[in-house]
Amino acid sequence: MSPEELQEAPVVPPPAGSVADLFVAVLPDVEFQATQGALDVILTVDRGDVVRILRAARDDPRLDFKYLRCLSGVDHMEAGLEVVYHLYSYTHKHNVTIKTRLPQDDPSVPSVTSIWKGANWHEREAAEMFGIFFEGHPNLVPLLLPEDMTDHHPLRKDSPLAEIEEWQAERAGLAAGETGEAEE
Amino acid sequence: MTVEQEHELDTLEINVNVGPQHPATHGVFRMVLAIDGEKVIDLVPHIGYLHRGAEKLSENLDYRQAIGLQDRTEYLAAFNAEFCYVMAIEKLAGIEVPERAEYIRVILAELNRITSHYMFMGAFSTDIGVFGTAFTYGFREREYIQDLFEEVSGDRMMYGYFRPGGVAWDVPDNFKERVRWVCRQTRVGISDIDGLLTNNEVFVARTRGIGAISLENAIDYGLSGPVLRACGLKVDLRREEPYSIYDRFDFDIPTGERGDSFDRYLVRLEEMRQSVRIVEQAVEQMPDSGPILPEKVPRRLRCPPGEVYMRAENPRGEYGIYLVSKGGDKPYRLKIRSPSYCNLMALKEMTVGHYVADAVVVLGSIDIVLGEVDR
Repeated sequence: MSPEELQEAPVVPPPAGSVADLFVAVLPDVEFQATQGALDVILTVDRGDVVRILRAARDDPRLDFKYLRCLSGVDHMEAGLEVVYHLYSYTHKHNVTIKTRLPQDDPSVPSVTSIWKGANWHEREAAEMFGIFFEGHPNLVPLLLPEDMTDHHPLRKDSPLAEIEEWQAERAGLAAGETGEAEE
Repeated sequence: MTVEQEHELDTLEINVNVGPQHPATHGVFRMVLAIDGEKVIDLVPHIGYLHRGAEKLSENLDYRQAIGLQDRTEYLAAFNAEFCYVMAIEKLAGIEVPERAEYIRVILAELNRITSHYMFMGAFSTDIGVFGTAFTYGFREREYIQDLFEEVSGDRMMYGYFRPGGVAWDVPDNFKERVRWVCRQTRVGISDIDGLLTNNEVFVARTRGIGAISLENAIDYGLSGPVLRACGLKVDLRREEPYSIYDRFDFDIPTGERGDSFDRYLVRLEEMRQSVRIVEQAVEQMPDSGPILPEKVPRRLRCPPGEVYMRAENPRGEYGIYLVSKGGDKPYRLKIRSPSYCNLMALKEMTVGHYVADAVVVLGSIDIVLGEVDR
């Protein structure tokens, strides 16, 4: 699909009484855009507010999001990179998705490892796959990729599969195009 | 040399490398243990040996083609992984699933949970040193269910049977009969394993109190599934946020008290019994005939722009599919939140302070599948 064909999801305001209203009540001075996703309410926040909002989400008894379900990176090309936090509360049984956009030339965001220990590997993965820098992460080294592979970010859209195969061939000491399989 | 002097001698910390090729690591996983005598004082896990880029590959395949990658990611519970993936597409594209297909999917997913736990029982008891019998029992019983899967899907591991909207083709005519037989067999199989391990002195001595983690820590690390329930929290996505038709069945959620390796084993054992209960109810309720796919599913499946984080209770915990669509016939971004990846994060917390020999027990009790950890 060419970049021109890509469509953005429409903004659907969440119904009254949703978890977005709780965030307004807890943090009246923080601005965010709320959308109703297919399952959960999605809040898009500024990256400067990420730590404040997430800390409040975890520690405020009205929100009580003790469980960080998932943390993912998404590449939106010219529109920048995105970090997405999926949260769940065991006490109130509610969900929320919080995301923040980072510019492509400065993709850094504060780490949330001090809020949830479980963010550690997710952040390392997003860092190596997308080149996102998590400020304050205790050990931001590659996790799934080889230790010395710090110049390529395979999940970015500017790394097509063919290119990834070339890097792999390079690493294996083969010229581009060779498969590495023994010829009969 | 007196005893008093002996204690004044310095001990040396050494690093021991376990894996990546080691029978106790259940695949290609490496951990570096820093040990002081026999005690583990630090642990560094190394993963990624089996990273095949399933997420990147999915972005380059159309929605149905990527089902095969789900099988290869979570290869011990492939039906459950497929289930979560197709549900994510259904949620996004708004596809209704026919009743009969829902029942087929629930039956297969629950039976797959049982085979996965059988695998755990066999492998875990071998890790511990109760070698042989439990392993053979577990694998023999698993085979009965595996045969059924083969009859239904044509494959023993990489099923590729679920489709967005239902299943690929109808089940064999004698499906219900076969499932009832498998249920009876499984009940016997579970009590065999129970009798062999639960009161086994060696087994209890090696697992009781080993690898315990507090509930607070478990939540902080984002653990899920039997590992979390063993800490005493009664949560199960099938009950918390019932997906598919799980709200129609009556089943219990087993929990542990101490959060140690033995409790994890007990929780899994009871879960197998509950899965049999669900399957038995589902077989009774399942319609004898009816469509297995909605009438109008386009040949080229397209999802409207949007995103969904679909989660399902898999044998190892919460399996999540984060799917971002920008229109078109391919996922724009697919993230797999694999449960054993998250559970493995707490390995250091669970192991430090125990003996070297217990590190293997703790790792076994998390029940990792490296295909799913590395994706």
